Amino acid sequence: MGLTDYIWLGVLAVFQGPEAFDLFGLSVSITVLMVVAGFILGIVVGATPGLAGPMAMAIALPLLISAFGFTPDALLPVMGFLIGVMKGATLGGAVPAILFNTPGTPDAYLTTLDGHPMTRAGQARKALKIAHVSSATGDTFSDVVLILCAPFLAVVIEGYLDLPEKTALLILSLAFVASVIGNSVGKGLIAMGLGLMAAYIGTGEDFYPRLSFGTQSLARGFPVTTAVLGVLILGEVFKSLDDLRRDRHRPDAPKAPKPTDHAALSRADLRRIAPYIARSAVIGTAVGALPGIGSTLAATLGHTSGARRHARKHPDRLPFGKGAPEGIAATEAANSAVSGANLIPVLSLGIPGNAAAVFLILATESIGGFNPGPAVFRIPPDRINPELVVAFGLFTMMMLANLMNWTIGGVFMRMAGVMARARKEFLMPMVLLLTLTVIYVQDPRMIAICFAIGFGVLGYLMRRVGMSPLPFVIAFLLARRLEDTARQAFSATGGDAWFLFTHPIAALFMALAVVSVGLSLRRSAGQQRP
Amino acid sequence: MRRAHCWPRSKRSSPLHDAKSEPAPIRRGAVSDQLWLGLGCTALAAVIALIWIPMDSGTGLIEVQRRRITLGDALAPTLAAGFIGLGGCVLLLQSLAAKPGEPAARLQRSHLLFLLRFLAICGLGLVLMRWAGPLAVALADPFVAADLNYRSLRDTAPWKYIGYLTGGTFIAAALMAGAEGRWRPRHLALALATSLALALLFDLPLDGLLLPPNGDL
Repeated sequence: MGLTDYIWLGVLAVFQGPEAFDLFGLSVSITVLMVVAGFILGIVVGATPGLAGPMAMAIALPLLISAFGFTPDALLPVMGFLIGVMKGATLGGAVPAILFNTPGTPDAYLTTLDGHPMTRAGQARKALKIAHVSSATGDTFSDVVLILCAPFLAVVIEGYLDLPEKTALLILSLAFVASVIGNSVGKGLIAMGLGLMAAYIGTGEDFYPRLSFGTQSLARGFPVTTAVLGVLILGEVFKSLDDLRRDRHRPDAPKAPKPTDHAALSRADLRRIAPYIARSAVIGTAVGALPGIGSTLAATLGHTSGARRHARKHPDRLPFGKGAPEGIAATEAANSAVSGANLIPVLSLGIPGNAAAVFLILATESIGGFNPGPAVFRIPPDRINPELVVAFGLFTMMMLANLMNWTIGGVFMRMAGVMARARKEFLMPMVLLLTLTVIYVQDPRMIAICFAIGFGVLGYLMRRVGMSPLPFVIAFLLARRLEDTARQAFSATGGDAWFLFTHPIAALFMALAVVSVGLSLRRSAGQQRP
Repeated sequence: MRRAHCWPRSKRSSPLHDAKSEPAPIRRGAVSDQLWLGLGCTALAAVIALIWIPMDSGTGLIEVQRRRITLGDALAPTLAAGFIGLGGCVLLLQSLAAKPGEPAARLQRSHLLFLLRFLAICGLGLVLMRWAGPLAVALADPFVAADLNYRSLRDTAPWKYIGYLTGGTFIAAALMAGAEGRWRPRHLALALATSLALALLFDLPLDGLLLPPNGDL
C-alpha cells in the first residue's frame, strides 16, 4: 500500500465510519457528528469567560470514553470531538473580548485592545467578522503545515534516532518545557520534578510498588486522569473561586452597544488585513511547533509585529490599540495558528506541547490502538499500518473542522455572545462537581476524589506562587515513557552508564537541554537587572 | 497600593492557564517569599532523595541481577527529586541576587485560609455523600417489611442518588454562597438542579457507571 492509499483510507474512516443517522438518503457517520458537536461546544465554551477549551476537553474525555468504550472504533469519534472543541474554543474566545472587553480565553486578551473599541464605535459585526476570517485563515494555514511537516519529521526521527537518542530527546523536551513556560526556570524545574515524582509513585519493576508507604491506596499509583484533571482543572477552579470571593463587588459585564454596521467585509477590508493575517499565521505556526510555547505568546508576537508594520507603513490609519481592524487580524490569526502546529510535536514525537494536546494524548492512551510518535508514519511493505490510517483520519477531521470554521463558525460565533453573561460564581462550583464526578466514574473509589482534590490544591498553590502547572502535567505524562526508554537504552548499550553522552546525537540533545535551561536563566537574570 | 501592581481585571479573570502561563498577582518587596520557596523545595528534595526513596523503594539506583546490570526503581525518582532540588537552588540564587523591591508572586495567609475553608466544605460534602445513602436506608429499614442494606440497593433508585445529591448539592451550594459572599435560596436550588442533572447525565445513558459513593460501598 502506498501513501495515497493510506490518505484515502483515512478519509473513508471518517466519512464511512459507524452511522449516526441518515439524512436524505445520505449516511452521516458518528465521527462527523462528533466533530460538529465538539466544534459548537468549543465555540460556546470559548465564549464563556472562566471556561476554556482544555477544560471542556478534560471533562468530556471520560464521558466520551464511557459512551464509546475502549475499542479502536472509539478513537476517531472521541478525537474528532476533542479536535472540534479545540478549534471552536479558539474561535469563541474572541467573542466576549470584542463584545464585552472580557477575553474568553487568555490569548484573546490582546483582541480586546482593538476589538472592543470597534464595538464601542458601533462596528461589532465587522470586528467579529474580521476575527472570524483571521482565526479561520490562521488555523487552516497551521493545519496545512502540520499535515506536511509532521510525517516528514517523524520519518526523519524514526530513521535516525535509536533508544539513547530518544531518551535524550525526551529529556530535551522536558528541559525545554520547564525553561520556556512561565516566568521562572527554577519554578519550571520544580514543577517538572514534582510531575515526575508523582508519576513514579506506586510504579516500578520490583514486586514492591515504590514510594507507596506500603499502602494499598498508593500502590496503584495516581491515575493520569486524576492527576491531570486535579492540577489543570480543579486548581484553576479553586483559584477562580478565590478570585471571585476577592472581587465580589465587581460590576456585571457591560451591555454591548447596538451594532450599526454591516457584517460583510468588502474586498478593500480583506486587502487591508491580509498582510497582517499572513504574517501572524506564520508567527503562530512557528511558535506553536515548539512544545510548551502557547498561543498567548504567539498572540503577543503577532500583535507586536503587526503594530510595528502598521506604524511604519500606515501612520495615517487608526493605530493598534485604538480600534484598528488590523490589530484584531494580527492577534486572532496568530493565536489560532498555534492549534494545528502544536500537534506537530504530538504526532511526530509523542510529546504534548500545550494543555489541549495533553488531552489528545490522554485520549489515545486511554483508548489504545494509536501511540503518537515516529512509528505512526511507518509504511510497512507487507501489512497495513492501522495507526497511519488513524493519523490521516485525524488530518481529515482537522480539515473538516476548518471547513466548519469557514462556513458555520461565524454564525455560531455571533450567537455565542450571550455566553459572556454567564456567572462564574455559579459556573465554577458546577464545573467542580462535574470534574469530581468524572474522576469517580473513571476510578470508582472515594480515595480517587480525595487524590484529585489534593492535586487541585497543588495546582492552586502552584498558580499562587507563579508556577505554571503545565510542566507538571507534561512531565507526569512522559515520566513512564522516559523511564522505560532509559531502561531499554541502558540494556541495549550493554549497561553503559554514559549512554546519553557517548552517542553523538544524544549528546547534542543533552547539550541543547543544558543550553535551553542556561538561556532561560540568563533571560531571568537580564530581567532582574534594573 | 497592591492593586496597582496586579494584572488588569480582565486579564486576572482569564480562564485555564495555557502553555504560556500567566504569573500570579505580584507584589513589590516579596523577594523573601521566593527565598522561602527555594529553601522549601531544596529541603523537600533532600528529604525525598535521602530518606523517602531509600526507605520506600524495592531496588536501589543500579541493580545487578545474574551478572546483568539494570536500572533500579530508585533511580528515576531520585532524578526527579534532583530536578526539584535544582529548581529550588535556582530560586535561592535568583532571590539572593535580586534587589529588594523586585516583584514576586506570593502565597498570602488569605490564600491558605481560603484553602482551609474550601477543604472543610469539600470534606463535609464528601462525608455527606458517603453516609447519606446508608443513613437513609437505616432510617427506612424499620418501616419496610424487607431487611434493607445499602450495598444491595446501591444501584437502585432512589437510594443510589441520595448520597450524590446530598453531598453534591451541599458542596455546590456552599461554594456558590462563598463566591457571592452571602447565602441565597437560589444557590440551593441551582446546586440541587446541577447535582440532579449530573446524576441523570451519568446514570441514564451510560450503563455500568456508578455515581459516588456507590463504587466503594
